[in-house]
Amino acid sequence: MSFYLQHGHGKSTRITDAYDDGSAAGVIFSPRNEKIDKLNDYIAELRSLGHLDLMLDPQFHISTVSPPKDRYLPDDYGYYQAGRTTRDFTGARKIQKYAQETLDFQHAMDLDRLVAPTVILSAFSDRWSQIALQLADASCDHHGGMSSPKPLLLSFVVSESAFDSRTEVDQFLDELTTWDATGFYICIVRDEATYTQRFDPDRFAHLMYATYVLGELNDFEVAFGYADYLGLALRAAGASAIASGWSQSLRQCHSNTFIKTDNMARRPLVRFSSGPLLNTILLSELEQIHGFGRLNDVLSGVGLDAEITRSTSPESSDWNERLAERHHWQTLADIDSTLGSGVRSNVRGLLTRVAHAQSLYSNLESIGVRFSRNCNGDHLPDWDEALNEFVRIAMP
Amino acid sequence: MGDVPNLTPEQIEAELDGVSDIHPVGHGGQKSVFSGLIDGQRFALKFLKAPGDELDSDDTEFDYTPDMVVRAKREVETMRQCQSPYMVKLGPIGLEFITISGQPLVFFTEELIAGADLQAEYARPRKCLGISDVVQLGVQITNAVAAIWELKKVHRDIKPGNIMRRENGDFVLLDAGLAFDKLGESVSGGGLVGTPIYFSPEQFEYTSRRTVLDFRSDLFALGVTMYQLATGQHPFYVRGDQSGDVYSKIRNANPTPPHEINGDISQELTDIILRMMGKSPHLRFRKCEQLIERLISVEGS
Repeated sequence: MSFYLQHGHGKSTRITDAYDDGSAAGVIFSPRNEKIDKLNDYIAELRSLGHLDLMLDPQFHISTVSPPKDRYLPDDYGYYQAGRTTRDFTGARKIQKYAQETLDFQHAMDLDRLVAPTVILSAFSDRWSQIALQLADASCDHHGGMSSPKPLLLSFVVSESAFDSRTEVDQFLDELTTWDATGFYICIVRDEATYTQRFDPDRFAHLMYATYVLGELNDFEVAFGYADYLGLALRAAGASAIASGWSQSLRQCHSNTFIKTDNMARRPLVRFSSGPLLNTILLSELEQIHGFGRLNDVLSGVGLDAEITRSTSPESSDWNERLAERHHWQTLADIDSTLGSGVRSNVRGLLTRVAHAQSLYSNLESIGVRFSRNCNGDHLPDWDEALNEFVRIAMP
Repeated sequence: MGDVPNLTPEQIEAELDGVSDIHPVGHGGQKSVFSGLIDGQRFALKFLKAPGDELDSDDTEFDYTPDMVVRAKREVETMRQCQSPYMVKLGPIGLEFITISGQPLVFFTEELIAGADLQAEYARPRKCLGISDVVQLGVQITNAVAAIWELKKVHRDIKPGNIMRRENGDFVLLDAGLAFDKLGESVSGGGLVGTPIYFSPEQFEYTSRRTVLDFRSDLFALGVTMYQLATGQHPFYVRGDQSGDVYSKIRNANPTPPHEINGDISQELTDIILRMMGKSPHLRFRKCEQLIERLISVEGS
């Protein structure tokens, strides 16, 4: 199993609940949302539960996009400094210092992986990409000299538009595959700020291709943060782990994620994650489906489905945000558990799921179910095209 | 033959102290090759024409260093440093600048390996090497590639003509004269040198700033070599092809899977050879050890 929780604001008992449910195999911690003492205590608490893969996304990259006044991370994360510009990355000594401070910080914690610092790339040929490569290189060097370190994951935070150019992706992969690290921790920065399963098919195919090259061909561990449903396709292509969290900003990464706001977040509408639809839908939409006598068709086949089925209808059940979160992770973990080690058969299986979801959506719509934007099946043709394109380019 | 020194054993013996019983072996590239006894052991003696007036036999450094001299230095330096048992060994005399019968020459010695190279024995007559020999060649030459890469160098000229076999059956990689040094002075600036029908796609494109040239280029050439020796045919080149045809095929064509040409080749070995010839470095093996492990598993099965 390889589904991880993306930690964030307000963890409460969410992580332990997911562990008890058997859906989370690991946690990716967010320094922004935890002071270091509390985080260390919490790690000790999780260790006492049993085995969970624990790692920390150092969020070093946010230092280049957050204003100097906004520290973003609590003061006790010494490697972090807000308001860094390209000038802060000139000279090998500075780069080495960032790598050293970030890795040494994690080395002192009880984590299973060390995650290298990085910066945010908009394109694989931009100035920041060179800085990211230098940070990765310096991290490998520093890690090589550490005493009994945990395995190193090189980190990349990349705009989805960087995957437009196959040539640039290829050149970047040529460089990434030269490093002697255990693997990569990758976050894709989405163009669209709203939570959606849509993804440009060419970009998606190139992203799957990169995952396949790193994970399947070159035997690197590849963990995707903020991956959610899209992560299932990346797992099929060779990723070793995918993560998702409780809020939408922990399920998909967007540049807004890096901006600290004091605004009160709008209370999200209660959702239901449907494995057969490969999407989350609103509880009101689930109610419509129930009204047409088709509830069983969209249930995920996981334990928490029972919270819905034991009531007379979805809207009369005790379904709430917390149950919806846990059910969402169970659904992702359940689909994830069906993925084996063969990329070709994984993709074939996922294409079958996509075809089934398309047919189910059109059937439900034909009987009168109305889905809102981002809850409908618009993402499925993208997925179908992307998966087929991926097979064409990766396994001709 | 104009670029090859014209020497006789008698001329050499008269000039070189401590070398006796000299016999001609042949010519390779711009080199005249002889065998001779040094301290009772037989070595290869290699001579190249030195660039005339600029050379003084007592000098070891020159303001003007032509490619040929750089290559000879690179070859000697690589042989001296390389730890692989499957890379030809430097003899007791390293690089020297000498004059024999008025000819200014560059001279060095190396391990003498009897017999012909694999180009002469197999590739030119289009004969196949036995499959277990192809696997052994893959393992041993990959070991040499790994050791050269330890020095942060890329051989850049792996081909049947640069591989020989010792009497004990081991394969040996020769001629590191074109080695590309990631850290130091480069022969031809990393540009187009070597034998184009064994070039990796990235060797053709080395002028591009982003092109990565590393040991994986050597794995490509080794893959082509293994393909050729296992099937009796070159994966990209047929007689009469122009250089543009070869470039295009190396970049774009998918060769016929080796097991479809020679039924003795397993699917597993086919997969390995085709992966070695991946169009991008990231499609090949990222560690020589991984390739060796895969080849050994084929050998075992």
